Amino acid sequence: MEILVFVKQVPDDGVEVRLDPATGKPATGSIDKVANAFDTYALELAARYTEANGGKVTVAAMGPAGTDSTLKNLIAVGASKAYLFTDPSFETGDEASVACRLAQLVKKCEAENGAPFDLILCGKESTDEISGQVGARLAEELDLPFVSSVIEVAPAGDKLVAKQETEDGYIKFETAMPAVYTIAKPGYDPRYPNIKAKLAARKAVIPTFSAADAGVGEAPCFVECLGYTEPPKRQAGLKVQEKEVADTVAKAMEILIQDKVL
Amino acid sequence: MGYIISDDTKELLKDVKEFCDNEIKEQVKEYDIKGEWPKPIYDMATEMQLTMMDVPEEYGGLGLSHIDQAAIVEEIAKADAGVAVTINGNGLALKPVLIAGNDEQKKKCCDIILNGGWGAFALTEPDAGCDAGNGKTTAVKEGDYYILNGRKCFITNAQVADFFVVTAMTNKQFGTKGMSAFLVYKGTPGLSVGNHENKMGIRTSITSDVILEDVKVPVENRLGEEGTGFYTAMKTLDLARMWCAVIGVGLCQRCVDEAAVYAQQRVQFGKPIWKHQAVQFKLADMEIRTEASRALVAAAIRLADAGLAYTNEASAAKCFTGDSAVQNAVDAIQIFGGYGYSREYPVEKLLRDAKIFQIFEGTNEIQRMVIGRSVISNH
Repeated sequence: MEILVFVKQVPDDGVEVRLDPATGKPATGSIDKVANAFDTYALELAARYTEANGGKVTVAAMGPAGTDSTLKNLIAVGASKAYLFTDPSFETGDEASVACRLAQLVKKCEAENGAPFDLILCGKESTDEISGQVGARLAEELDLPFVSSVIEVAPAGDKLVAKQETEDGYIKFETAMPAVYTIAKPGYDPRYPNIKAKLAARKAVIPTFSAADAGVGEAPCFVECLGYTEPPKRQAGLKVQEKEVADTVAKAMEILIQDKVL
Repeated sequence: MGYIISDDTKELLKDVKEFCDNEIKEQVKEYDIKGEWPKPIYDMATEMQLTMMDVPEEYGGLGLSHIDQAAIVEEIAKADAGVAVTINGNGLALKPVLIAGNDEQKKKCCDIILNGGWGAFALTEPDAGCDAGNGKTTAVKEGDYYILNGRKCFITNAQVADFFVVTAMTNKQFGTKGMSAFLVYKGTPGLSVGNHENKMGIRTSITSDVILEDVKVPVENRLGEEGTGFYTAMKTLDLARMWCAVIGVGLCQRCVDEAAVYAQQRVQFGKPIWKHQAVQFKLADMEIRTEASRALVAAAIRLADAGLAYTNEASAAKCFTGDSAVQNAVDAIQIFGGYGYSREYPVEKLLRDAKIFQIFEGTNEIQRMVIGRSVISNH
């Protein structure tokens, strides 16, 4: 079983992002870059699948030059190979163009890997732009079966059973291989690397390709981002503080009734 | 940060920090109250290989530099000093083996630790603390064996240890030159472990008596020559003081971190309390003590790595860091005010954890004696 996991490098989602007043864009320059959390869930799911059923996991990312550091970290936690695709032309576009490029990159990854992929995984969304479109669009581009928000994958002969998380519970789908799934948060967390694996992974050299190396051509773009606005600041609340507690409660009740909350 | 570390180690440190933030920091609150050894945390730490950082590379170890290791241990200590003491306990037990042991002994103990096991260093006795040479435990040679009898106390990791390094008098007449060190493995008849000490702080570490009743130890388990045990123990303590100081730096830093965050949240007289100069000065002194402690530790590590004498520097680092950790914890509590005295807030634990750093691995009075004597001998 050959599994390919596409990974996006994003600013650490534990840090609050503000807009840069000069550019009007999110000021993410000084924020640590990490693998998108949902992509790390996809890698953990893939690693557990191959540990139980055999096979190996390849990770690939399209992103700026420093992305190789993120990919090295993933080699310490279950990936056996990693490829980076970096090109100025990759820095613009919408979800459609990203998916179109990724579909072309699959071929290059397969050529480098020396074997086709049986399953392609993406996180269900990235924690920076949160469009949640790329995985589904990638499946369309490749004309492959698609299941979204998967939390468990099991072998079923020459097919796969994917458990999709829904608001009410879950649905099981059986698909042929190869297939594209997007991964939601499973019932476990990604593993921590052990020190030896981490030190070895940090020494790995990540093969890096430009658009021309990878044979990626023009990618259509349909959506233009016009700008960003910060969410409005919360209005200061009303403070009720009388000398006596009983008076404070009475006054608060009065305001709640007046505003028809009660 | 006084340690200069590579970008790759910084990536490793991020993992350790994530592990500490997610698996240690909050979880230890409960264990601290109960005084229970948090096995699930140690199982995960073993999985990450954090318990085996002292195994040399030639025995299958990780190949971290000592400065890298110090940065990692400090990160763990920031989350919980008791966890750091436990993890460091493996290093403490391994050090005498690496100092005095033969190749076979080193390999055996390293393998135990690499397989997720634990070691314990049993030097202290009820009547032999700072005066370690006054040990009453005896080892009497009978043919191919030594028969060990005595009682050790305050032994870190004793209840979980797979091997013990035990010091015992082989010849009382020679004083400290009559002390020898032995490897004793778990399960050896006559070896037993007393109750877990109900401690003031570092309550996530386990500390117990070790009782030796006619314990038969093969001659090949002796570490080095007969009579070298005290020398081995003192060499071990030089190293141990350095690592004890590393943990103390983590505690110092945690005090700064907690106080700095709280001082920005807490508003009195219409402004966050850090804007009052009295609080700023406290924070500054805490930071100065932390950085100075770290710099002393780094200096001792550099000397040790270069193969130069570092006994005084290790003592200075241990002593200054221990005092700094206690003072930083006192100051952090003062900045938190009444809340600092409450168990609902994290800083009272820091003072309980810090106090032992003025006591174990040689009290700070002993460290001052070591340094004081050396000052005189140099003039």
